[in-house]
Amino acid sequence: MSEFQRFLAKRLAISILLTLVAVSVIFVVLRLLPGSPFESLVTAGNLSQQQITEIRAMYGLDQPMWRQYLSYLQSILLFQFGYSILRSQPVWGVLAPRLVNTLILLVPALVTTAVLSSLLGMYVGWNRGSKLEKLSIIATTFLRSTPVFITGILFVIIFAYNLELVPAFGMRSISASPEGYVETFASLDFLHHYILPFTVSVLYYSGDFLLLARNGVVEKRGSEFLKLHRAKGLSEMQQLARAGRNSMLPILTYFALRLGMIFQGLILLEVVFGWPGIGRELVLAIQQQDYPLVQAAVFIMALAVIVANLVADVLYAYFDPTVSTSGGGAA
Amino acid sequence: MSLLDITDLTVTYSTDSGTVHAVNDVSFSIDEGVNYGLAGESGSGKSTLAEAVLGLLPSNGSVESGSIEFQGRDLTGLSERERRDVLWEDIAYIPQSAMDSLDPVMSTGAQIRQAIQTHRNVTDDKARARVRELFEIVGLDPDRIDDYPHEFSGGMRQRVTIAMALALEPDLIIADEPTTGLDVIVQDKIIDKILEIQDRMDSSLLLITHEIGVIAETCDELSILYGGKAMEQGSVDNVLVNPTNPYTMGLKNSFPEIEEGDQDPVSIPGSPPNLSESPSACVFKDRCPFATEECEASHPDLVDLPNRNHRSACHHVTKAAQMRRDATDPETWGIPDSHDESDRGEVLLETDGLEKYYEQSQPLLEQLRGNDPNYVRAVDGVSLRVRRSEILGIAGESGCGKSTLGETIALLKQPTGGEFVFDGEPYEHYADGNMREFRRKVQIIFQDPFDSLNPRQTVRQLVGEPLTIHDYRTEERERAIIETLEKVGLTPARKFLDQYPHQLSGGQRQRVAVAKALVLDPDFLICDEPASMLDVSLKVNLLNLLRELADTEDIGIVYISHDLASLVQVSDRLAIMYLGRVIEEGDVESIAAEPKHPYTTSLLAAAPEKDPTVDRDRVLLDGEPPDPVDLPSGCVFAPRCPKAEDECRESEPGLDTVRSGEHRAACYFPDGETPAADDLADDRSGTYGDPEFSSPASGDSASD
Amino acid sequence: MSTETKPEAELKKRVEGVAETLRNQFTFLRRDRLAFAGVVIVAAFVFLGLLGPALAPHDPIEHTVRDDTGSMLRLSEPTGAAPFGTTAYGKDVLSQFLAGAQPTFIVGLFGGIGTGALGFLVGLVSGYYGGWVDEVLMRLTDLTFSLPFTPMALLLLTFVTPSVWLMTGIIVAFLWKMPARVVRSEVLSVRERTFVKSARASGASDLRTMLYHVAPNVLPIGFLYTAYGIAWAIAAQASLAFLGFGDPTVTSWGRMLRQVFESGNMRVAWWWVLPPALGIAAITTSVFLIGRAYEEVINPEIQTEQ
Repeated sequence: MSEFQRFLAKRLAISILLTLVAVSVIFVVLRLLPGSPFESLVTAGNLSQQQITEIRAMYGLDQPMWRQYLSYLQSILLFQFGYSILRSQPVWGVLAPRLVNTLILLVPALVTTAVLSSLLGMYVGWNRGSKLEKLSIIATTFLRSTPVFITGILFVIIFAYNLELVPAFGMRSISASPEGYVETFASLDFLHHYILPFTVSVLYYSGDFLLLARNGVVEKRGSEFLKLHRAKGLSEMQQLARAGRNSMLPILTYFALRLGMIFQGLILLEVVFGWPGIGRELVLAIQQQDYPLVQAAVFIMALAVIVANLVADVLYAYFDPTVSTSGGGAA
Repeated sequence: MSLLDITDLTVTYSTDSGTVHAVNDVSFSIDEGVNYGLAGESGSGKSTLAEAVLGLLPSNGSVESGSIEFQGRDLTGLSERERRDVLWEDIAYIPQSAMDSLDPVMSTGAQIRQAIQTHRNVTDDKARARVRELFEIVGLDPDRIDDYPHEFSGGMRQRVTIAMALALEPDLIIADEPTTGLDVIVQDKIIDKILEIQDRMDSSLLLITHEIGVIAETCDELSILYGGKAMEQGSVDNVLVNPTNPYTMGLKNSFPEIEEGDQDPVSIPGSPPNLSESPSACVFKDRCPFATEECEASHPDLVDLPNRNHRSACHHVTKAAQMRRDATDPETWGIPDSHDESDRGEVLLETDGLEKYYEQSQPLLEQLRGNDPNYVRAVDGVSLRVRRSEILGIAGESGCGKSTLGETIALLKQPTGGEFVFDGEPYEHYADGNMREFRRKVQIIFQDPFDSLNPRQTVRQLVGEPLTIHDYRTEERERAIIETLEKVGLTPARKFLDQYPHQLSGGQRQRVAVAKALVLDPDFLICDEPASMLDVSLKVNLLNLLRELADTEDIGIVYISHDLASLVQVSDRLAIMYLGRVIEEGDVESIAAEPKHPYTTSLLAAAPEKDPTVDRDRVLLDGEPPDPVDLPSGCVFAPRCPKAEDECRESEPGLDTVRSGEHRAACYFPDGETPAADDLADDRSGTYGDPEFSSPASGDSASD
Repeated sequence: MSTETKPEAELKKRVEGVAETLRNQFTFLRRDRLAFAGVVIVAAFVFLGLLGPALAPHDPIEHTVRDDTGSMLRLSEPTGAAPFGTTAYGKDVLSQFLAGAQPTFIVGLFGGIGTGALGFLVGLVSGYYGGWVDEVLMRLTDLTFSLPFTPMALLLLTFVTPSVWLMTGIIVAFLWKMPARVVRSEVLSVRERTFVKSARASGASDLRTMLYHVAPNVLPIGFLYTAYGIAWAIAAQASLAFLGFGDPTVTSWGRMLRQVFESGNMRVAWWWVLPPALGIAAITTSVFLIGRAYEEVINPEIQTEQ
């Protein structure tokens, strides 16, 4: 086995272990805490004894705890999430379209902001001390540090209520009832609804990429190798390109990490804009105590982070040949 | 017409704490085909000068006045675009730290190609062919042009930057400390390479270095800079043989040399001048023993000395001959000459076959199969003895395991095999609960003065901490601290007590580090390259201090360094290390005069010579040390050894293979038997009788 | 310990040291205008956090603003009687804004300090000792990274009655990972520095080396992340309150926003939205601006010859 394969195997094992632990934590929170939601589900409401027994049997609550745990583990790891209590349909059936909605909003936003903000960050890092640098730092600091729902609300007030450029709420007009993904997403109506939450997500994420790129370039600007590039007679833009290329790695890794946190990242944004994504669905499910749905949504979010972490680590080890793959994990 | 004409150049930096006058009214000119040296300690403005010529000054630096004329064109007035055309096409640059100077995410070949294609309109194929050619010229394998910088060693990276400098056959190459940080053998090879190529290409060279020896060997003319002023300039033969400026004398005298073992190098006390004002008095007057009121009044102009290519800026230039005589006497510089050899005392530390192996991490599968893991043999069977009042020097190139050895005998790392006895007690005694006692008696001083002091402690806390830990002299803490500070020459001690490390100069910090080690009155001191980052004059100071400690305090000292010249100055005995083993050991005089092991011979021969009139023959070793995991059988030096025979490759010679008195070496075919190398004091030629190896041109062979 | 010999003198020196540090910090902040603006806003916020409820002209929940005829003033624009206008339930926005600063302040302060302190300790121990200690602690941070903060916090808050302190606890439990990671990597590099080796060579114990030599040199990073922790805690608290999982008995800025949002009056009642929204935005941005200014100083790699 090569060094890299060993590193990969170790990271993979850690990720699997982490998934197991995370899944168990979810189990503990949902089943074992005093007044656990599943218990309250049964005791709440005026149910007859027979109904109670039925529900208990349906969710396996009449079994011993370890058996419940095992069957829970088995089903969740096989993506068998069971039935949503409230919506009376398979959890997966509820979540799948929501997942798509979230992805269609956030993935393009993340890619856009990663490219644009990084480029801008490199540029202002090169021109350190310029007005543009100061301005972009203030702006992105504001956008990054302010909770996203507040930015969302401010944008809604300005662009939807006062300027009336775009709708404030939802993913499509009430009258629209498209069939299938193509019809849903490839319409002007959707675009009209899309633009505001998209802009807010782009702006919200811009800060981290901008600063990463800027710091990378600032750091490289004083480096010895850039001095040699300069001595060679490279033009400003060529030098900046080299400095940028040398700062790519942290940006790439950060991008992978952010991508993993995409489901849990902007729950509040979905709430504010009434965007029917997984985050908003989860908040609704918690409020309405629809625990099979909660369980599944939280699991998906955790899994995404773990996988993204793995990808980020591997990307780093793979793209930076100077990093020793053996030392990173243990030291 | 000369190639480069610098006239009255003044460069300043604007910083938060005011303006720094880095270069003040410096003039010199370089003719075509001439090698020009710029020498000086750190802060003398020599690198700033190079950056000014290249137009690479950092954004806060600016050329205040003066002109830089290159082929009759003033470079200071060029626009960015015009300057870019001159750079590399006409003036190329070999940077200081080859380690960091190459773009880490671009292959070496592509970086050179970029230099070519920025200036010439050539196809990729042609450029590639040129790169291959260049790799060959500098002695690198042309098949490696697609490798990335981190796949090369330090010396090889420096070769890449040289190849890059040559790419367009410029008229002038500016080399800024091209060999600093490299091992002495590698350094020698690089210098040799630069000279050879530059001879062939007929370009001029501006060489910037703090090592006078390197300039003496390579340059035709030089300027000595101090405090941003040119103190003395002219032909190397004139300036270095008969210096007329006290600073040059001091600099020359403090440069240690191997064969003058009986004569202590003399240091220049004090520290470089404050450059926040444009100089009104002689910049050197504070440190100059010959300074008078006249020196206070103005900085002297450079005056031409009659009948020679030699100019000096000193008010007392007429008294040069007298000053030269006085300058060799330490007392002139206010340094008491204490050199009473005390007798060496009882044996303090003894190791026998000491080993420090590192296990290489290996795959689980291999472990399950029960295969033995690979070991890195950092220290492999080292036997040493150090007595009281004795300084044992340990020399070797980087990676030879000398630092690991130091930390192992300081018991900072656990030995993995062999015997270790300190003060009559074995290692087990100390490992078994008596480590405190050991830590009190044995102190270690580390390499980097800028990093060896906790930046958040004052000198009082720094020096006092060992007292607290060991509950030693706690009732007279303050006195113990002050006494120790005075002992290491930080006077008046009270002034330093409440200062933080960043308020001290490099030399002062290193002294605090020494004080920290001495405050517990240790019996044994381990010094790991304590002077490698200090300027020459400070280095000499430290060496003299250690010598004095050994003589007066009966301390046993192990001094680890790659710098053979300073080791010869300070040590009583020497041990030469190669790949974790001691390959030669004995009295300093006897090793310096008659090295037995071919490796020692080449180390000694690689050290530059400060007297330009002495011709030195280079011994250029092939290749680099092998991988310490996968060592060859037999003598570990055999693959690089010019004299290796089959016997050497079959079994490893022990240290007792050659023996004359105390002097031992691990070699079957020791040097010294050929008449040519007998008298090294006069002619340190490393001739092995094999003409191929005594000729400098043999360095062409690839070094990998 | 040296403190045993002359405790008072030692203490005095410490205090002087701290005073000098503070002075230096202040002069530094004065130079960076952005950071200085941040400091002014933070100071104002601290003032509101401590005295806000006392300054509020009315009780934020009990008191109902009425007009001359005695009927409830719903959704009134700012007037003399209610300078910031009223809510849909006839409450005084100014009073709510002033009173609402306090829980935001408490959660921010203690959440931030808790986050910083816990993260610092974990990072320090993990980085200094390495080996299995490090492995365990780092996997623990990985775990907290993978569990999504908002849903987990919401879940916990659904079956435990929310209070300001519970909220602080939950926030600390989820946010400590950030400083822990950064401090750890910093410790890893400090640990390799010569003075740490030198301390061990002079016989200092692990604890002593860690506390006297490693910790002081990573403290700036610790402070920086405490500052960031404060901003995160404020944001997290506001977010949870906005989702309706805050302490129902306490007015906070996040809760005010929830009420506007829920009542559906966002389109008209700008006076109700803006004070809490801008309050939160201003304080989190200020803290980050101060933090950024420090980062420029702390991060040696960004410090080029400027």
